[in-house]
Amino acid sequence: MLNYEEELKKFKPSLEVEDIEDAVYQEDLSDMSDLLKQVMDRSGVPTRS
Amino acid sequence: MDYTKKIMYHSNYWYNDGLKRAQIRDTSGAIVSLRRSLQYNRENVAARNLLGLVYYGRGEVAEALVEWIISRNFRQRDNIANEYLRNIQNSNRELGAVNQAIKRYNQCLAYCAQGAEDMAVIQLKRAVSMHPTFLKAYQLLALLYLHAGQYAQARQMLKEARKLDTTNEMTLRYTQELKRLHGRKARQAGRPEEPGKNEVVEYKRGNDTLIQPRPSTVRRSGGGFLNMLLGMLMGAAVVWFLIAPAVQESKAAQMNKEILEYSERIGSMEAQISAQTRMLDSYRATSADTEAAAQNAASTLDSYENLMNVSDQYDSRGYSEDVMADALLNVNRDSLGERGQALYDELVGNIFPYACRILYNAAMESYNVANYDLSADNLDKVVRMDEGYEGGNALLHLGLSCRRRGDGEAAARHLNRVVELFPDTEYANTAREELEAIATEASASPGSEGENSEQEGENPEQSGENQGEGESEQNEEASGEGGEDPEQNGEN
Repeated sequence: MLNYEEELKKFKPSLEVEDIEDAVYQEDLSDMSDLLKQVMDRSGVPTRS
Repeated sequence: MDYTKKIMYHSNYWYNDGLKRAQIRDTSGAIVSLRRSLQYNRENVAARNLLGLVYYGRGEVAEALVEWIISRNFRQRDNIANEYLRNIQNSNRELGAVNQAIKRYNQCLAYCAQGAEDMAVIQLKRAVSMHPTFLKAYQLLALLYLHAGQYAQARQMLKEARKLDTTNEMTLRYTQELKRLHGRKARQAGRPEEPGKNEVVEYKRGNDTLIQPRPSTVRRSGGGFLNMLLGMLMGAAVVWFLIAPAVQESKAAQMNKEILEYSERIGSMEAQISAQTRMLDSYRATSADTEAAAQNAASTLDSYENLMNVSDQYDSRGYSEDVMADALLNVNRDSLGERGQALYDELVGNIFPYACRILYNAAMESYNVANYDLSADNLDKVVRMDEGYEGGNALLHLGLSCRRRGDGEAAARHLNRVVELFPDTEYANTAREELEAIATEASASPGSEGENSEQEGENPEQSGENQGEGESEQNEEASGEGGEDPEQNGEN
């Protein structure tokens, strides 16, 4: 059985055209390479450039 | 293996997975896979471009633009994202409409939070009309319809949402909820739950929702046959009442036309026949006149011939007068010309007296020896030449000769002529006596009534004539005859 209120909460506002610029800047572009680099930096393992 | 390569492989693997899902319109799954691909390698331009395309396909144009812009930043050349962005920039009008739809959608979320579902529904209807591939708008609208109990509209919205994203979890869940709610409603109405069976069919066409009663298969099959039978009957009735009379009328008109033509032809032929008949009659009359003229001409010719012959015979002194008289009797004096008539008269004056004498003597001799045929012939010629020859004696004996040889009619005619021409003579008395005897003989014989009637006709005439003369003897005779006549009449 659906809960109308709960379901309604799942709907988020959609991105408008005026907000594209901000969204581009706020986009998280980190990937696995960055993650591995962080791990290696924390562990003190020298990384190849 | 170098870990960078592994990362690349993983990134490509999830890109491929996302591509497969995108190809079957599993946009939700494609987004997950492509995001994972980008998590492995953010510079996977293909994955990012495809992700933007997937976002564009489900109506999230702004998100798509973000991905394409980022993709272009990673690779500015040989990047299809440039073309995508160029197309979007060139269609400012469509982009504006999409933006308006997104704004309405965002406004609807505020309405829903405020409890104004009616306003939200109105705005969402406008949004989906402006942006028909806006998945989230369809889902939100379906949720609102489900909440309002408008299951038909909800079903329609979910149907459109499934077209855009076949495996969207929210869409599938709403569809399941719809089925559950619909079955519960059917049970509450007392009817057996028959998924897919409903008395009405609701479907959406644009912004309009159409509700039609579900057609019954039973009614369709039985009613179809009945309708076909009814249609056949109506067709037969139309043919019988409309087409057949028209056909018959046309045939009758054709027949009337032919009859009219034949009548006209008959009339014209009758006219021709009457004209030809008139022409034939005129020809006959002409021919009769021609024939009469021919006969007259022949008679004239014969008359002239006879006249010339007689003239020659007379001049030759070689023929007897009776012979020449026979020839002259055949001459038609009226057909002769003036000179012909003069010659005729001359010859008649010279021949007839002698011929009468000869023929009269011969006739009397024949009469005396009871040769009544010869005497009648000769006396007939004499009478023709001179009716009053011998004071009527020739005429009298002609009548007597005819009577003696049995020709009562001719005898009566000649005897009456005697009485007529020579009434005061003894010949007339004799003629009267003979006429009485003839009448008596006629009344005595069978079938003599006609003769008697003729004689009765004659007797009054005779009595009339006798009275007209006014002499005493005649009056006595008439009285006697008048006295006798009634007796004869009584006998008759």
